[in-house]
Amino acid sequence: MSEPVAGLALGVVIAGLALSTFVTRTSFLLAGAKLRLGHRVEVALRYAPVCTLAAIIVPDILMHPPAHVLDLSLLNPRLIGALGAGLWLCWSRNIVGCLAFGMGAYTLARLYL
Amino acid sequence: MVTGQAVESRAAFRLGQRAILPFLPGAFTWGMISGVAMVKGGLAVPWAIMMSLLVYAGSAQLAALPLIVAGAPLWVIVATGLITNLRFVIYSAALRPYFVDLPWPKRAALGFFMTDFTFTRFMRSAQEGSLPARTDAWFAGVCSSNWITWQLSAITGIIGASYVPTEWGLEFTGTLALVALVGPSLTARPAIVGAAAAAVVALLAYPLPFKLGLFCGALAGIIAATLTDAFEQRLPPGSPEQA
Repeated sequence: MSEPVAGLALGVVIAGLALSTFVTRTSFLLAGAKLRLGHRVEVALRYAPVCTLAAIIVPDILMHPPAHVLDLSLLNPRLIGALGAGLWLCWSRNIVGCLAFGMGAYTLARLYL
Repeated sequence: MVTGQAVESRAAFRLGQRAILPFLPGAFTWGMISGVAMVKGGLAVPWAIMMSLLVYAGSAQLAALPLIVAGAPLWVIVATGLITNLRFVIYSAALRPYFVDLPWPKRAALGFFMTDFTFTRFMRSAQEGSLPARTDAWFAGVCSSNWITWQLSAITGIIGASYVPTEWGLEFTGTLALVALVGPSLTARPAIVGAAAAAVVALLAYPLPFKLGLFCGALAGIIAATLTDAFEQRLPPGSPEQA
């Protein structure tokens, strides 16, 4: 694994991310009246974040450090924590409860499994 | 001498500050978790604070973080943040009709400070038809309270994180926060199919260098979601659901 991004390179990353926030949030507010979202494009834009986040979250849970190999067993603390958070979300949208419940399940699994 | 217009604008600003109040506990938690996860993920405190102030997008920051730690190429990191932010393009298209008459610096400012929370609050009032005449001042009030709350909580999290032992695994709260963000949107079929395809492809493509597996996953998911949507559109309305 290579070194973490640091120093000037990290500054460039932060500037790039800030720019991406600005460009996406102001896009249509600053664009001319001619700009329109086609249905296809709107659908792709609508589902892009969910898909990207799923592509981040799932490997993060199932291929956890230090080994980074697929771990589908119920001995995987991250999987237990995520299942706990998911269960909570099924009956409440409260983010505080979701995080507390998920972290609780994760911590118990980490300590005792 | 205060003009009548300024009085009206101030009143609208205050109304906006009050309107976002019920969302602030959520914003506070979300900001705090982002701050803690930044530092526990390995960012130095000054960089984490700078990122919070300038990027002001929790999900993009949390998405970029593991890539920063893994030393991924800069373009991969920025592109990942950009895709995570793409939902804001739709938000800004929805806001456009309300602010189209403002001078561009005001439109740019209101746009930059718009977030998931403030947009949701805005659209609720818009649908109820309860937006005040000075919509721009009202939304500025909404956004300012949200910004202050989020930044305060993020900086609290960033500074407080160094006092928490690393063994607690607090960086995992970042992943859980993303689960909490994604979970509620998994109700529409294209979102479910897209997320599943993205996850499977990201796992299969995990060994690719530069964290490119993430991109393959996201791309596969977007294609799957778009196809699912197109398939659903073709079904005549009222027909029995077909999986």
